[in-house]
Amino acid sequence: MAAGVAAWLPFARAAAIGWMPVASTPMPIPPQEKTKGKDGLIILNVSGTKFQTWRTTLERYPDTLLGSTERDFFFHEETNEYFFDRDPDIFRHILNFFRTGKLHYPRQECIAAYDEELAFFGIIPEIIGDCCYEEYKDRRRENAERLQDDEEMDMSNDAPPVNLTYREFLWRAFENPHTSTLALVFYYVTGFFIAISVMANVVETVPCGVLPNRSKEMSCGDRYALAFFCLDTACVMIFTVEYLLRLIAAPSRYKFMKSVMSVIDVVAIMPYYIGLVMTDNDQVSGAFVTLRVFRVFRIFKFSRHSAGLRILGYTLKSCASELGFLLFSLTMAIIIFATVMFYAEKGSTASKFTSIPAAFWYTIVTMTTLGYGDMVPKTIVGKVFGSICSLSGVLVIALPVPVIVSNFSRIYHQSQRAEKRRAQRASKEAGRALVAKAPSPPFESQHNHLLHCLEKTTNHEFVDEQTFQANCMEISVMNKSGSRASSLSSSPHGLSSCCSRRHRKKSSFSLPSTNNQELSTIQIRERPVANSRSSLNAKLDETVPLKCDKPYITPSMVSLSAPVVTSSDGHGSITTAAYSQSNIVRVSAL
Amino acid sequence: MLSAIWETEGLQTVGIVVLVFASIKLLHLLGLISFSEDSVEDELELSTVRHRPEGLEQLEAQTSFSRKELQILYRGFKNECPSGVVNEETFKDIYAQFFPQGDASTYAHFLFNAFDTDHNGSVSFEDFVMGLSILLRGTIQEKLNWAFNLYDINKDGYITKEEMLDIMKAIYDMMGKCTYPVLREETPRQHVEVFFQKMDKNKDGVVTIDEFIDCCQNDENIMRSMHLFENVL
Repeated sequence: MAAGVAAWLPFARAAAIGWMPVASTPMPIPPQEKTKGKDGLIILNVSGTKFQTWRTTLERYPDTLLGSTERDFFFHEETNEYFFDRDPDIFRHILNFFRTGKLHYPRQECIAAYDEELAFFGIIPEIIGDCCYEEYKDRRRENAERLQDDEEMDMSNDAPPVNLTYREFLWRAFENPHTSTLALVFYYVTGFFIAISVMANVVETVPCGVLPNRSKEMSCGDRYALAFFCLDTACVMIFTVEYLLRLIAAPSRYKFMKSVMSVIDVVAIMPYYIGLVMTDNDQVSGAFVTLRVFRVFRIFKFSRHSAGLRILGYTLKSCASELGFLLFSLTMAIIIFATVMFYAEKGSTASKFTSIPAAFWYTIVTMTTLGYGDMVPKTIVGKVFGSICSLSGVLVIALPVPVIVSNFSRIYHQSQRAEKRRAQRASKEAGRALVAKAPSPPFESQHNHLLHCLEKTTNHEFVDEQTFQANCMEISVMNKSGSRASSLSSSPHGLSSCCSRRHRKKSSFSLPSTNNQELSTIQIRERPVANSRSSLNAKLDETVPLKCDKPYITPSMVSLSAPVVTSSDGHGSITTAAYSQSNIVRVSAL
Repeated sequence: MLSAIWETEGLQTVGIVVLVFASIKLLHLLGLISFSEDSVEDELELSTVRHRPEGLEQLEAQTSFSRKELQILYRGFKNECPSGVVNEETFKDIYAQFFPQGDASTYAHFLFNAFDTDHNGSVSFEDFVMGLSILLRGTIQEKLNWAFNLYDINKDGYITKEEMLDIMKAIYDMMGKCTYPVLREETPRQHVEVFFQKMDKNKDGVVTIDEFIDCCQNDENIMRSMHLFENVL
């Protein structure tokens, strides 16, 4: 609860007079006000800048330095003020927290300095208001990352500790090539071979001139087959060795095998081995040829060498929904226009628009403003719709793309922020909970008194969630117990349990003499309770409250139980005994 | 053959019609043509009501608070409501913070009406302080009067069972769901019955101010609890 609302507590308590005529039971006595501290101005001298505030303002938060007696350590007798040798600019915000209950983070301050001041004055940062909380957390994280990066760089520049196992050393060498010269050499060598392998794949397909005994032109791959094969073998051997070494060095082999990079590695070298196995089988040679396409995946191995590629991949992955939507809207437009063009061009002779799917190609080419010209409409109507198609293509594609790009960046940041907020929420709640306990003790006791008055007015008690659930369960359990005996046995137990609870709660207050009233109502109560006892099986929602009601609930209960008729005397005797016993319990509780 | 010609001609007409409509729509979109007059712009309502209370001397004379008490009260009031007046929403929010388990909005609404003596929809510092003066420093008669005023929702001088039921439900709402014993539907109504049995002497179904004050003065409990909050400030 905000400490500012504490100012309204006197009002809320005064308004409780509105309940008094309605309540039929006496109210608890209000807590005694301890002698209030001297209400006066306090002068806080922070490095020469004087701040003044009321004493009560500071004492709103007794857990902080300024609100507790800890400030006495800083009291300066000569000038009769409290002197702090700290930054006055940041102190301004801290004092505002006491005044308004909200802590703000100034953007221009250094996060480390601000944190230090908060720690000095005993304020936990989790209570920073919503307006500044995100900024604060962002800056803090940036700072922490920067520190971590610095540390890592320092660490990597240090000589590696000697007691690393070979496996850890190997893994470290693979992940940070800058740690040792050997790792660096390996890094460059693999990079070089990836490039060579990709180039070889490309050059393989270039036509290389005509052999004398052939009419057709041959590709270089076929002409210098052996050379290319040797090159390929060398590359694949290096890749295989690298993959196996990484597999051995990985701290978690399963995790490593699941990662994207390792999958790419495997896909890159598989075709070669498959090719080795099935060289002479013509039927699968077609399939084998397509497998060689996968060799191009070796180019993705570059992403280990380039952070930019990794970021691009991650970007595309997170932008997938926006791209999906663009694709969907494009598909809609394509289908519409293809249909229209097909029907428009149906009449013309020798039209290329033989079917709607055939018209898809035209629509795509036109909408993306490529305009190959292999399919053109010939009729006027076709041309009209074709021009509409190309105009709308410009709009459909060119307009949303920047919007999607900016949308993407905004949504990306937003979702990151939502994630952050969710992650921070837990610590924020914890922080708030700590502070929420902070309102001064007199405030708390007065607030509790107010709530007790409400309880007395309505003759119901506040319970927490668990007790409430337990009660509901209790009622439903007792619902099931059919026999009177069991009900009898369970009811005193229930009685004693709830009355003991009552006893515990009420022992703090001493009620003015209500005993006369009580005893006079005992006789009145006899009947209703007996009735309720016997009707345990019949109407159960009444039993629990009636049993455990306060002894001084007046005639209201009489009027209630009049309709409930059943009773049996033999029953009644036992119950009255039990009841008077319980009554005795209640009286003594007071 | 003929049908093919008709087909193309029909399509041509359709094409031209579509073209015309599309261009009109485009111009409308571009704002060059407007069809209807609905160009309503939202107007930002600047509701900066500033209220300054009467002077300290006047308030001192009108209420039974000392100067210092008025100062403390005003500082707290102004801290929460810098504009100097409380509207019903803020009032409900503030009151709800004291009863986190239940729903205090209905009772806060009645309370607001009781404080807002001039019925202008907002409680100024004067209203606030007058109300508090009656509640904390007034005579028993004044306090009972105030309570009667609170219960009498339509301020006609009579408390009917419906009005009392509304008030009772509002009070029980503040308890919330998790109570012991479990709150039932008819609890407020029963409580109202009790109340009327006690207060309504001539059994005419309504409670007048005299019946109310008489009955309260004869009830020890109520008399005692009226003095409960005197040292609140």
